[in-house]
Amino acid sequence: MNDGITPRLQVYLAAKLGVRDLEISNLARIPGGASRETYRFRARYARDGNTVERALILRRDPPASLIETERAAEFRAYQAFHKLGLPVPEPIALELDGAALDRPFFIMEEIENCAVASILAPDPYGAHGEKIGEQFFRVLGRIAGADPKALGLADFEGARDPAQCWSHEIARWEKVIEEDEREPQPIVRAAIRWLKRHPPPPPRRICIVHGDYRTGNFLFDGEGNIRAILDWEMAHLGDPLEDLGWALDPLWNRGGADTAAGMLSRSRAVAIWEEASGLKVDSAALARWEIFASLKGAAIWISAAREYGEGRNTDPVNAFSGWYCLAFHNKVLAERLAGEFP
Amino acid sequence: MKPEVNQILDLSAQQLLGALAPQLPSGYAQGAAALTAFMLMLSSQEYERAAEIRVVENADMRALFAELAPRVDDAALKRKLQAAAASRDGSLKISALDDANHELRRLLIALHAHVESLKDARAMEKRIWEVLKASADRRLLKMPGA
Repeated sequence: MNDGITPRLQVYLAAKLGVRDLEISNLARIPGGASRETYRFRARYARDGNTVERALILRRDPPASLIETERAAEFRAYQAFHKLGLPVPEPIALELDGAALDRPFFIMEEIENCAVASILAPDPYGAHGEKIGEQFFRVLGRIAGADPKALGLADFEGARDPAQCWSHEIARWEKVIEEDEREPQPIVRAAIRWLKRHPPPPPRRICIVHGDYRTGNFLFDGEGNIRAILDWEMAHLGDPLEDLGWALDPLWNRGGADTAAGMLSRSRAVAIWEEASGLKVDSAALARWEIFASLKGAAIWISAAREYGEGRNTDPVNAFSGWYCLAFHNKVLAERLAGEFP
Repeated sequence: MKPEVNQILDLSAQQLLGALAPQLPSGYAQGAAALTAFMLMLSSQEYERAAEIRVVENADMRALFAELAPRVDDAALKRKLQAAAASRDGSLKISALDDANHELRRLLIALHAHVESLKDARAMEKRIWEVLKASADRRLLKMPGA
């Protein structure tokens, strides 16, 4: 069922860690999105006379990837923000060629005894919503406040000039839509044209944008502590409001217009983000980035629909994304842009 | 047909969720089975409404083209709009309705871009957005159980 991964992973990891008699057990695939196959496993080995047992995660490329992402950049983002002290799992190994396990992969520590929220769950955080929400926006603020040069990430993909952040991202996602659209999308096309005509002011400086900071991409424990920010595969250089707009998108928010990510009030979320980042939010600019977020969502879901429809990646999450989520973001975009014509 | 197709889809989803998924290994397999059940529930919604959504949306676009064509000065686009406004859905098969829908959507995209390039065409833009918003509202899927 797991393509004989265990023996090959055992050989690979023993060589990588420079240990003998490494044993891998309990390899099992877990949910982890459609862009990577995710497995948890345990590695047991001897080092310096002691027995070490580690809970690890393997993230391997699927036969077809939803959005072409830069694996090395993802791995470096994990390294940089783990080192900075943010709740990010320790990355262990990265392999870009497919020799060891047929396809590129990376290994990181597993953060155990945690949950991940689903947008299908009516109340994923229970009594801890406010507490988790505060951490969620504080960590996002810290990502925005970090200096890409100091992190060693200044060569990441993205805009170099603050004035180019907007056009760079619109061009990126318009290209995805051009390549992957399987049926005409009049709302999405109108949104692209509108966004091109309505750029926000540029940011004060270029930041690291996580790229997919949202419900479902972080782990929290039973006490309401965020333990891991995941899925850095779309990390790039850009405007920090891009991440904030995405985190505030209605798809992740079941609480209505005044709540953020279904966890706390929107005004409190923005205030926490400002405090943690040291940046001031321009409300008009954020509103533009929120519309962009729904366009970006639509682009990702259009890609998912293509992968599923053409049979390259038939994980049911692609069917869900390409249908439910695309319909959702079409409605959000239509509501917001029709509102420009009262 | 008894049982109805949407009933079959709903009951299959319940069977998958309640009886089959718990027998699978926890983790990815159970999660994928639950999401598959969810997709069956959405498919049940769509079975009931799919033809109506497409028939109404196609009619809306044709009516919009008939209304706006006289105000379009691009001769080639005007001819296309008039021809599309006079067209009809020949079959109620979903695939046929979708083919027609896609042709009409392509023309709507061209019309919308053209209208945006005109001066003082705000009222026309507003009408287009009304049609787009109604389409998005109709196609939105309800979260099962919500």
